[in-house]
Amino acid sequence: MRFASLPQPLITAKVTAQGATAQGHLHEVHAAAADWAAATSFALTILGQTEGAKPEGAVLIIRVVRRSLPAFLLGAGLAGLGIAPERLLLAQARNALEMLRAGVEAARCQDVSAVLLEIWGRCPEWDLTASRRLALAAEKSGVSVLVLRGDADEQPSSAQTRWRVTSAPSVARAANAPGLPCIDAELLRQRGGPAGTRVRLEWDEKHGNFRPTANPATNDQAALSGAVVPLSGLRAGAAPLSPAIPQAA
Amino acid sequence: MQRRYHRQSRKPPEPLVLVEKIKGAMRLVALDGAAVQLGLQSGLTLADARARVPDLAAEAHDPHSDRQFLQRIAARLGRFTPMVALDHPDGLTLDMTGCMHLFADEAALLAQVRGAISLTLRHAFGGNAAAARARARYNTSNGDVRQLPVAALEIDAAALRALRRAGLYTIGDLAARSMAAIAARFGEAAVMRLRQILGEADAPIIPRRSLPALRFERRFAEPIARTDDALLVIEALLGAARIALEERKAGGRRFAVTFYRSDGVEQQLEVETSQPVRDAALVMRLLRERIDSLRDPLDPGFGFDAIVLAIVRSDPLVERQLDSEAAEASPQDSVAALIDRLSIRLGAENILRLAPRDSHIPESSQCTFPAMELPKQPKWPQPEPESLPRPLFLFDPPQPIEAVAEVPDGPPRRFRWRRATYHVQLSEGPERIAAEWWRRKAGYEPGKGGLTRDYYRIEDSDGRRYWIFRHGLYGETASPRWFLHGLFP
Repeated sequence: MRFASLPQPLITAKVTAQGATAQGHLHEVHAAAADWAAATSFALTILGQTEGAKPEGAVLIIRVVRRSLPAFLLGAGLAGLGIAPERLLLAQARNALEMLRAGVEAARCQDVSAVLLEIWGRCPEWDLTASRRLALAAEKSGVSVLVLRGDADEQPSSAQTRWRVTSAPSVARAANAPGLPCIDAELLRQRGGPAGTRVRLEWDEKHGNFRPTANPATNDQAALSGAVVPLSGLRAGAAPLSPAIPQAA
Repeated sequence: MQRRYHRQSRKPPEPLVLVEKIKGAMRLVALDGAAVQLGLQSGLTLADARARVPDLAAEAHDPHSDRQFLQRIAARLGRFTPMVALDHPDGLTLDMTGCMHLFADEAALLAQVRGAISLTLRHAFGGNAAAARARARYNTSNGDVRQLPVAALEIDAAALRALRRAGLYTIGDLAARSMAAIAARFGEAAVMRLRQILGEADAPIIPRRSLPALRFERRFAEPIARTDDALLVIEALLGAARIALEERKAGGRRFAVTFYRSDGVEQQLEVETSQPVRDAALVMRLLRERIDSLRDPLDPGFGFDAIVLAIVRSDPLVERQLDSEAAEASPQDSVAALIDRLSIRLGAENILRLAPRDSHIPESSQCTFPAMELPKQPKWPQPEPESLPRPLFLFDPPQPIEAVAEVPDGPPRRFRWRRATYHVQLSEGPERIAAEWWRRKAGYEPGKGGLTRDYYRIEDSDGRRYWIFRHGLYGETASPRWFLHGLFP
């Protein structure tokens, strides 16, 4: 199974009607400011691994310039996550409305591989209409769109999935050195599917992605199931899903 | 010298000189009339000049802006003759051949030129460019080229001294000698110059000629008041522009649309693209974006009288045969088109790409470029397989923290950052990164190369990973400070 290692709901469905075109979706990732690096790495790696993602396409990050914390992305760090820094395009908006508009514009461009929007705190502009617009643009073009919500409460949106990501202690290496990056990902909500799974993901250097840790004590068994939950009927008007009962691995 | 005061339209102080740093001293490079009258000359140090004239006003010499100013003047003189050339370093040559009949005589022409550029001029007429230049710069009272000093040949100082020592002071003295002897002693160039000044040889100029800017105009019998109608007109103008651009094998990089309203107000819209384009649909889309992002909407008022489309900047664009496979992808969908659209929405300086820089200091190992200016993606070096991990986010400037270490040279036990305490569980390091001592003055001497940084990759009790460093070894500084520099996933 190609994607057995990934948290299942992130595997986007295939539109089989016209060949094997992968469909783009909108995902939401909540994280605290302190877990920002963990959330960004989670977002970037899952965007790179959804089916149909163009391995060489541009990755666009749109953000509102924040003066309070002068942090910027490091090309060498991105390369460590398996994303060539050449692919990165950074867009800085003046306010949330401009950012959302630019996000829709980017989501419509088929040559873009993935779009990442950073929305901090309470944001009245990020409502059902705005998220629906993004979701439709993503579905039409096949571009995966991910919205990073920093220090924010959950709000209704038309995202396909909603996650909460926190940093997790790594498995120490020799001489008390920090090990590979570890993160806890909790699926808060999923359209047309079960939610509430928690999974601890560890960076897999060999495959260049996050995989559930080998230690089952930290994981929900359900999330580790080898069976694929079929997610073909993702649209609201589509046929109902077959009952998604995870099988034990 | 008049450039600056010309723009500010205030009276320059007198005496005024322009100074530049030459051979380690501020020296005069240009002087005004009052300064020359006081006996100052170029090449004098500013200190000496001030000693002689205490109330001397001095400003920095800016040859680049001067050249640009000269270019602008040259453009303005294009109405007298199409053959306008820059005369290095600070003059202009106008070839009036075939244009003189438009003016009554030389004096009338001169009056018009003076009117066009309100600057102090030194002028001369000559049979060719070299003669005119020599006359203008080495002025003779009666206009006889033979009376010009030998300096008008513009040969090097040693040759000039030799000429004077031989008793040859004027061009006339030199012209009386045999050319072969002059060529043997001072080189072919001196003879060539002499013959040009005497009018025996041609002195061609390289006229500063630019292609006329593409400008398309539509005037209306009745003012049009709807923006949609105006956009239709622009589309038609873009169609005309496309044909003109195809003839030139060029594509526009910057399009400017000016709306002339019937009440005399002008409104201008400008769009810029990262690649040369001729496609009307693409430019229309950019223009619509521009109209959407305007702070004040496009206001037709009582209607537009005329609409003018100008292609301000164009670059070569050669038709390429369509790749049969790539033909499906429409140009509207490409990333370059997206960069153009976003640059119009958010400003070109806000769409950035990362580019590597040749430095091992983490914060200077990369820089950002506007994506518009960098159509080719910068090439990043492949990371070495055994290289130490780098954080995903870097703080610039590094965040100062208060750290407590078990042993002076070791990793910290805990640290405080932004009023919160972090307990270190795991740590790895140090990774020692030396300062770039070769960039510093006497950096190879011990203690002058800058402070070494010891980086530690640490994990706190909440499982968050940080990159912190101690700025300075204990040998280098008595109490090194700690900084938080990056966040690991």
